[in-house]
Amino acid sequence: MDPQARIMVVCGKGGVGKTTLSLALGLKHANQGKRVVIVSSHPVPELAIAVSLEGIATRFPEAARNLFVVHLDPRELLQEIVEQNFPVQMVAQAILNSSIFKNLIEVAPGLKEFYFLARLQMLAERKGTAARTTSPDYDVLIWDAPASGHFLATLRSARAFEKFLTGPLASAGREMNRFFSNSAHMQILAVTPLEEMAIAETTEMSESLDREFHLHCNALILNMVSPLATATEHEVKQIKLREDSSPALRFAVDRGELERDRKAELSVAITAPQICVPRIREWGGDLDLLSKVGEWLDITSGEVMAQA
Amino acid sequence: MRIIVYLGTGGVGKTSVAASTAMAVAKTGARAMVLTTDPALRLRTALGLVEGVPEQRVPLDDPKAGELWAGLLDVRATLNEAVRLYAKPEMRERILKHSIYETIANSLAGMQELMAIERIDQLRLRGFDTIIVDTAPSRHAFEILDKPALFADFSSSRKVKLVGRTYKFAAGLGLNFIGSKALDIYSRAESILGVNLVREILDFYSIFYPIAEGYARRAEKTVALLRDPAVTEFRVVTTPQKAMRDAAFFTEALAERNFAIGTFCVNRAWLHPFPDTLPGGLEGELLRWYKSVSDSHREAVWQLREKFGSVVRDIQVFSELERDVDGLAALERLAVQMHLNEPAIVP
Repeated sequence: MDPQARIMVVCGKGGVGKTTLSLALGLKHANQGKRVVIVSSHPVPELAIAVSLEGIATRFPEAARNLFVVHLDPRELLQEIVEQNFPVQMVAQAILNSSIFKNLIEVAPGLKEFYFLARLQMLAERKGTAARTTSPDYDVLIWDAPASGHFLATLRSARAFEKFLTGPLASAGREMNRFFSNSAHMQILAVTPLEEMAIAETTEMSESLDREFHLHCNALILNMVSPLATATEHEVKQIKLREDSSPALRFAVDRGELERDRKAELSVAITAPQICVPRIREWGGDLDLLSKVGEWLDITSGEVMAQA
Repeated sequence: MRIIVYLGTGGVGKTSVAASTAMAVAKTGARAMVLTTDPALRLRTALGLVEGVPEQRVPLDDPKAGELWAGLLDVRATLNEAVRLYAKPEMRERILKHSIYETIANSLAGMQELMAIERIDQLRLRGFDTIIVDTAPSRHAFEILDKPALFADFSSSRKVKLVGRTYKFAAGLGLNFIGSKALDIYSRAESILGVNLVREILDFYSIFYPIAEGYARRAEKTVALLRDPAVTEFRVVTTPQKAMRDAAFFTEALAERNFAIGTFCVNRAWLHPFPDTLPGGLEGELLRWYKSVSDSHREAVWQLREKFGSVVRDIQVFSELERDVDGLAALERLAVQMHLNEPAIVP
């Protein structure tokens, strides 16, 4: 295994907290002095609505120096490729501005995903591009992956190109497919709350990853769980619902028990260490939340620490 | 006719809210269809949507109720149907067997939204009173508005058609006969994207464009309906935790496209009555934890009303159910919390 090319892939259903956990994980490593690159496939405005790193320079100066959030826009990547192929700027611009080219990119199935993967692989292998010859220097690479359906579609795009084309794109696809189907390169961190839909989707995703790409979950991050999810059986038995118990307590107990059942089911469905991140109670701002969440994430690119 | 389009980020319960809206509408005596992309297994079972069944009438045990229908947005099925309806018989097989068609039908992001537009048109012709659309999460939410225009642009662009036709014509003659400016760009695109890919795409569009053109015409009509506030209401589903950020994001994103949000639906709120005194131990810890989450929910709803109350017509809050939304009973519990706004009056 070449740990140098390992990507921590934070994946799961939409809205389960992938971006928050990616940033929390990145912040934690960066704060320990490691250089961290977080690759996001979200468009910038969407990333901004998730969580913000505002104020990081004053609060975590060490992390601020080491943390880089990179947004790989496939359109920009294509632009770079055009510019490489046509060094005369006017020609490159004419192509980029032509409606034919724009439309081809929009309608070419999987093309944007394909270029995204190509760039991610370059980053993982620490190769520069023609435009930026220096290879980025980092210790930890985190991919804040898109929601599971689109995440799988992205991984499949390499295969699609390999399958229905011949020539240079097909061989690039084959090479990419080999890279991303290698568990030595992909540390899969699946995020899910203990809720029916998210669990079903996570299980399906995990099966697809295994079947299609020979990738297995390295860890399950159970996000936003209640205090009951981590309590012992003995502790839970101490709580007794009475006639006059408040609706709030009934709801919390009901939910907690449900979560415990789900957690047990999940450990049968997916063999991977489970890391619980509680729904954080009080937090002032986003940075506060990220550093609190980070306390629960004992994950390095080499291994996942068992949770006490 | 009425259309309600639900937008929202992932995990907010958009599909449940959309399905229960359809139920609430049907209970007023109307014929309602909810179009959804990927319902949870139990919701799917409750609605009777199984693999290969694109739509299903859901029985309601209320004699005064109209009809509740649930439809799955199956890209392949809708696309196949369009090819069956609109392609010349001799072209059908070529289109259906084309490698680009295969890929488009299987994977193209945003295709679901294009197909939603196509389905709305089909449903309108079949006499549905109310169509409720559950869109994909935010990443592609706006494709329902953006993609048809893009697609129409593509299929009506003379240059592309020229290339498409020229290519078809030239395939037998050899490409060196063509020297137009369009072809120049096309061949440059070829050198970047790979010859085969570009040819496959152009070849596909040369046989597919009559369908694309027809699609574009129908899409134009449907998008006009989506633009008409007397017909269409946009609703954003969010959770208390995400409410302020979602509100800001969706208000701006819709305004950019000249649409207005009708309603914010704040789903999954924890607002249960809370005891005056707290016990010790895990029970106390659990209650304190519940209260802190609940307080932040109340605060978020208050902030949303303060800041966006005058921007939208309505803000509705739905409490989280004890168990995950399960079956029609759960949809009913959501439906009773909901009020249906009449379409906006257009001056």
